[in-house]
Amino acid sequence: RRGLCGAARPRSLRQLREADEAAPVFQYAGRAARRKDRVFVWGFCHSGALGIPSFVRPDAGWKKPRRVQPTPYRLETEEKISSAACGYGFTLLSSTTTDITKVWGMGLNKDSQLGFQRSMGDRNKGYEYVLEPSPIALPLAKPQQTRVLQVSCGRAHSLILTDSEGVFSMGNNSYGQCGRKVIEDEVYSESHTIHQLKEFDSRVVQVVCGQDHSLFRTKKGTVYACGWGADGQTGLGHYNITSVPTKLQGDIAGVNIVQVASYGDCCLAVSNEGDLFGWGNSEYLQLASVTETTQVNVPRHLPFKIGKIKEAACGGTGNMVLTEEGNVFVWGYGILGKGPNLIETAVPEMIPPSLFGRSDFNPDICVARIRCGLSQFAALTNRGELFVWGKNLRGCLGIGRMEDQYFPWRVTVPGEVVDVACGVDHMVSLVKSFT
Amino acid sequence: VPVLGIGHGNKLLADLHNCHLSKVYTVGGLFGKATDDFSDTGKLVEKTTYDHITREKLERILAVIQGSNHKALLLHSNIDMKTQEAYEMAVKGLIRPMGKSPPIITVIRCLQFALPEFQLEIHCLHETQQYLRKIVHEIGLELKSSAVCTQVRRIRDGVFTLDDALLRTHWNLQSIQNAIWDCQLKVKTEIEKTLG
Repeated sequence: RRGLCGAARPRSLRQLREADEAAPVFQYAGRAARRKDRVFVWGFCHSGALGIPSFVRPDAGWKKPRRVQPTPYRLETEEKISSAACGYGFTLLSSTTTDITKVWGMGLNKDSQLGFQRSMGDRNKGYEYVLEPSPIALPLAKPQQTRVLQVSCGRAHSLILTDSEGVFSMGNNSYGQCGRKVIEDEVYSESHTIHQLKEFDSRVVQVVCGQDHSLFRTKKGTVYACGWGADGQTGLGHYNITSVPTKLQGDIAGVNIVQVASYGDCCLAVSNEGDLFGWGNSEYLQLASVTETTQVNVPRHLPFKIGKIKEAACGGTGNMVLTEEGNVFVWGYGILGKGPNLIETAVPEMIPPSLFGRSDFNPDICVARIRCGLSQFAALTNRGELFVWGKNLRGCLGIGRMEDQYFPWRVTVPGEVVDVACGVDHMVSLVKSFT
Repeated sequence: VPVLGIGHGNKLLADLHNCHLSKVYTVGGLFGKATDDFSDTGKLVEKTTYDHITREKLERILAVIQGSNHKALLLHSNIDMKTQEAYEMAVKGLIRPMGKSPPIITVIRCLQFALPEFQLEIHCLHETQQYLRKIVHEIGLELKSSAVCTQVRRIRDGVFTLDDALLRTHWNLQSIQNAIWDCQLKVKTEIEKTLG
């Protein structure tokens, strides 16, 4: 009887060790485990620009519609998204896939900035608001070969850049911002018009939408513009509208431009030598370093002595540049990122790198990419962290609070942030998961 | 490095505590096991594979831990973020919670990495040993594996470092007196700087 069933004695050390060794081993990471690409959105939900229908039309009766999403929320997408752009109440996402569907849009569609979105209820009508990422049908000649490289959104128009079929434009054209002739009394809502632009001196490699104008940068380093010009933002030497993309001259004639930026009515361009050029609105001291006038309609060289410029970004009232050393400079008007006391400056001021995490323990942290919304700024570090600052309009900073942020603040995203697109009241980020 | 105070030193100890300076630990960990109290002497809960873990993945996780703790540091310091002085202190890196707060890590980095073992250096405020072990466990989970803590060693407490520490063989009156003399200046300057 003694040997048949062992009583629950405390086990000896050797038994414990043997039990440990015999325990099963779990494997959580498969052999082909790769880092996943994800999209996170935050900001104002009610326009549908975040692409999550349950925020606007709750899926359960007791839930209330969510007006604002103050922290990053994951958006499920079918394909890997390579480029995102936020407009005024709408968003475009694109992938470099060779599948038929390469671009998705969500949000406001009253000017067909997302193309024609056929309504499921009435086949002859289109949706005014699109609540989830919906495919945009592009009239491509070779839909299974051409790839979409980049998208950009303005106030009520969008530009889509392809690798071999030029640029497609959609949306409002009352100022010629879509690059086609202005048709009087044209109705833009529920329109099927998607215009193709191919007449450039070389392949277009970057498209940028300002508020009501469009900029195109070609492989040869030239810049074309069309659209509203009352602030000189087309840089063509006049203040009228332009409905055909026209080459810019001024101080950038003959210069190899490697990046252009715009979001409001001011524009910046960076050359391959690290020089900075600007034109457009200067009511907020954006170009006050070279001129007293508040509108500049020809590109002017901005002789800042802050080092070679790597990247530039324009907001509505403030501008930002990133130098080759990885430092960020801001100027203009508004919440610039150096505390509540700095409201306006005509000369760029550097944001202390310690605010981005650089310290004695981490001396090689620097900013790798910068982006601007209408009154917000965003910076991505080389460690994949996202910092934002500026006006926190409807929670668009994603920091979880609704107050404005006067200096760079981390956004907690579960992953390494690869790119971010800033709009007026919402933001979209492209993220790689950690493992 | 435990700190002891004698006589008048007791009052100084209280002042030092109110300075809320950070402590530095070296923490040793082992991948592949998960136990109930997060250390390697506890009861085994689960064993997992760990050969997919690389130093690069570990450092990515550490960067994120440091980032989110930096945010917590600024939030718990109870300063209004909209003031100019909050901005200036944030630039200098002087913002830290001056009252009660949950444990916060200010710096975390990997010193050694040799699968399945690894060693981290952690600078933290208001922590407990349990919290440090829990961090090791959570790092294991983030890397799709598990980890237990094998060693925790405090190498710095505020202004006192390993160099100021007395070896067991030096626990006699003379050495203690010398040590107190050496540290007096450091303690005084630190208290004046923080408490004014």
